[in-house]
Amino acid sequence: MTPQGRTRGRVVGLLTTLTVLVTVAVGFAPAASAQGYVPISGSGSTWSFNALDQWRKNVQQFGIRINFSGTGSTDGRNQFKANQVDFAVSEIPYGLTDGGVKDEPPKDGNFAYMPIVAGGTSLMYNLNIGGKRVTNLRLSGDTVTKMFTRKITMWNDPAIAADNPALNLPARQILPVVRSDGSGSTAQFTSYLADQHAAVWDEFCAKAGRKTPCGFTSSYPAYAGIVGQVGSIGVANYVRQAQSDGAITYVEYSYAKNAGFPVAKLLNKSGYYIAPTAQAVAVGLLQAQIDPNDLTQKLQGVYNSTDSRTYPMSSYSYMILPTAVKGNFNELKGKTLSDFAYYFLCEGQQQAERLGFSPLPINLVTAGLKQVERIPGSTKKPTDISKCNNPTFSTNGSNTLAETAPRPADCDKVGSTVQCDAAGKSVTKKGGTTKTTGAAKPGETAPGAAEAAGTDPGAAGATGGDTAAEGSADGEGDAGTDGGSLSAIPVSVDLPQDDGTLLVVVAAVLMVVLVAGPPLAARLMRGKGGS
Amino acid sequence: MTQLTSAPGPVAVAEAPRRRVSLPGGIDRVFRTVLRGAGLTVLALMATVGVFLLIRGLGAFSSAGFGFVTTQAWQPDSGNFGIAAVLVGTLLIASVALVVAFPLATGMALYISEYAPRRVRGFFTSLIDLMAAVPSVVYGLFGSTLLQWKGTDIPKWLSIQFGWIPFLDVPEADPDNPLSPNGVYMTSTFWAGLVVGFMIMPFICSVMRESFTQAPQGEREGAFALGSTRWGMIRSVVLPFGRSGMIGGTMLGLGRALGETIAVAMIISPVFVIQPHILGSGANSVSALIAQQWGSASPFGLGALMAAGLALFMLTLVVNFAASAVIARSRSGQGSDA
Repeated sequence: MTPQGRTRGRVVGLLTTLTVLVTVAVGFAPAASAQGYVPISGSGSTWSFNALDQWRKNVQQFGIRINFSGTGSTDGRNQFKANQVDFAVSEIPYGLTDGGVKDEPPKDGNFAYMPIVAGGTSLMYNLNIGGKRVTNLRLSGDTVTKMFTRKITMWNDPAIAADNPALNLPARQILPVVRSDGSGSTAQFTSYLADQHAAVWDEFCAKAGRKTPCGFTSSYPAYAGIVGQVGSIGVANYVRQAQSDGAITYVEYSYAKNAGFPVAKLLNKSGYYIAPTAQAVAVGLLQAQIDPNDLTQKLQGVYNSTDSRTYPMSSYSYMILPTAVKGNFNELKGKTLSDFAYYFLCEGQQQAERLGFSPLPINLVTAGLKQVERIPGSTKKPTDISKCNNPTFSTNGSNTLAETAPRPADCDKVGSTVQCDAAGKSVTKKGGTTKTTGAAKPGETAPGAAEAAGTDPGAAGATGGDTAAEGSADGEGDAGTDGGSLSAIPVSVDLPQDDGTLLVVVAAVLMVVLVAGPPLAARLMRGKGGS
Repeated sequence: MTQLTSAPGPVAVAEAPRRRVSLPGGIDRVFRTVLRGAGLTVLALMATVGVFLLIRGLGAFSSAGFGFVTTQAWQPDSGNFGIAAVLVGTLLIASVALVVAFPLATGMALYISEYAPRRVRGFFTSLIDLMAAVPSVVYGLFGSTLLQWKGTDIPKWLSIQFGWIPFLDVPEADPDNPLSPNGVYMTSTFWAGLVVGFMIMPFICSVMRESFTQAPQGEREGAFALGSTRWGMIRSVVLPFGRSGMIGGTMLGLGRALGETIAVAMIISPVFVIQPHILGSGANSVSALIAQQWGSASPFGLGALMAAGLALFMLTLVVNFAASAVIARSRSGQGSDA
């Protein structure tokens, strides 16, 4: 290339770069600052992270940049207190006493709570019977408490069997998985345990070296046999692994939904086992006491709600907003935050159910909108909430989602001999019926025979549980001795899949070796000969 | 004056290095000041970290007293806390890491310096450097979401075959029961140590490789001339020459292993008792404790974490100084100050 040509090339290159830069600047800069938005940051709850993250992505199109890191509610509150973030998200407010230490609110007092979404703290589990995943587990609060305090350590415990008359529970160890960081999920879960099953909970706390009465705590006591993991995604990820058969954890329903794992139905006060659906949560939260001044929640009413459609571990999640300019927070940020809040209080709520949460009812949305106006620099957008399309809104002020919630099926009632399957149809115990009566001990034959006839009174918790354990242990351990076991079939179907992957890998390796091997070997030999 | 600096005769040069008797002016002075400043900054930085930890942790030290070293629990807000469990956990994880990393690094360094053809040598050297450049959070992800789940059979086999060695026993496990959960073999000291071992391997390896390649050519050839095989030459020349490089590199790796945070925090399930069963679920380390708790700690709890951090800081400092002392004393490391 001649020098002239080179110069021309350089000029062309420079021009191209400039054009690209200008296009980028013109194309993107106005979008980012069209409304005068500035990036804001928040941190806190992983319980409501999935909802907030979706909303955050949705508002990017308006040029609103929200950085939210799910580091746990406790961390969120601490960072907000230290003015490190513009807002925090937490399940519990400031000022509560946890383990003898009061969580002091920010000294200046310039903050407000705003409910952002409702949801159910659900019990996600990984349990297989004979190679088939259980999807219709039911648990009473008492059983849950004992499972998470190591009073019940086996899945075939009579208490679990009594909750699940249709399941042949295996003699597998329960692996409770809890949060090892300071967490609002733990706070919600333990306040349910402490309120409803104080005796068992306090006994556990004392054994774990805490002061009693224990009350709720944000950091679950470390105890032998209980696995701690960081963050909601951490516990959900632990439970979803194939190796974690027998694990159970407490996590917001959306995480179980995303992982494609079932959650246990929890027994409510009126004797029905209820799943944490958006509607069951909405029904439960009708009984939540909301403090009219700061909107914080008291959940005893939810735990004790006598509505048969209630999911007892329902709660709201809150955003903690600044109400004065302080630290790094200025009016520009306030404007951005207020528009984000207007978005998710209104339109954002439509997505709550799909994400695994439950939308806010009308009274909390209106109260929340009032809180948004207190943010310095708030756009004070007049919001016509009838256009929000929130599924809870009605013309007469009642909660439509709760009104229209279906009554629980009869197979979800406590004490019946049947149990709903995943599709809601009632099923009875199957495994026990295939067991030949001749092979078992006299004590075991009786319930087995009763189940075969479909007349198990349902009270035979202890003996029924034992039978179930034997049945499925045989099914997995040595299927050969138990000719009638249905459970061996899915296991054998699974195996060829694994073999297939292995074969593909072996084939690929072989091919690489065949192609690359001979020349490499030749070169090596030549190299040796040369030296 | 200028004459003096360039005047010394050739005889004087042969033995002792030349000394400049006059101060150079201008730019040299500036340069020296800058360099001295850099050195002092590092010193000041370390001192500040130590003093900061000491001041912030003083409250915790005085409230816990001697119990700070002997208590296993970590509940600073109830006044019941100490570093016995986490410090032992840190040492256990670091030991597992060294057991993994040392043979791997030695083998790799010997292969690169002695056996590998030139082209492969360059490739492996950059591969090892790449391994050192991978962020620890990636190792943590690798360990916590893949390795420990797919590799459960390794600790299982170890505990069944060598369970009679006390620390390889897993008391909660019941290998005869096919329904017993595999969770007891996960989130353990073993997995954390294994992943940390992978992380420190490249550092140990490069120090070792450096010292192996410096083994004098004359002695190598002498060994060959006396009829030695290549392995014999390595044993009699390279390994003795590089021994202190090996020790020093290992100590440097140990220093890193003691302080490794995020990968450990991602893998372990924290427990606050001394967990001597390295294959069993539950482990802890000082740095993982700090990473997991500082966000949700009360002001006093933060002080207690600072105190724990100071303990780790001292331990790492001692290990690193010991490492540099060993390297400096060695034959291969005489020239270097590492």
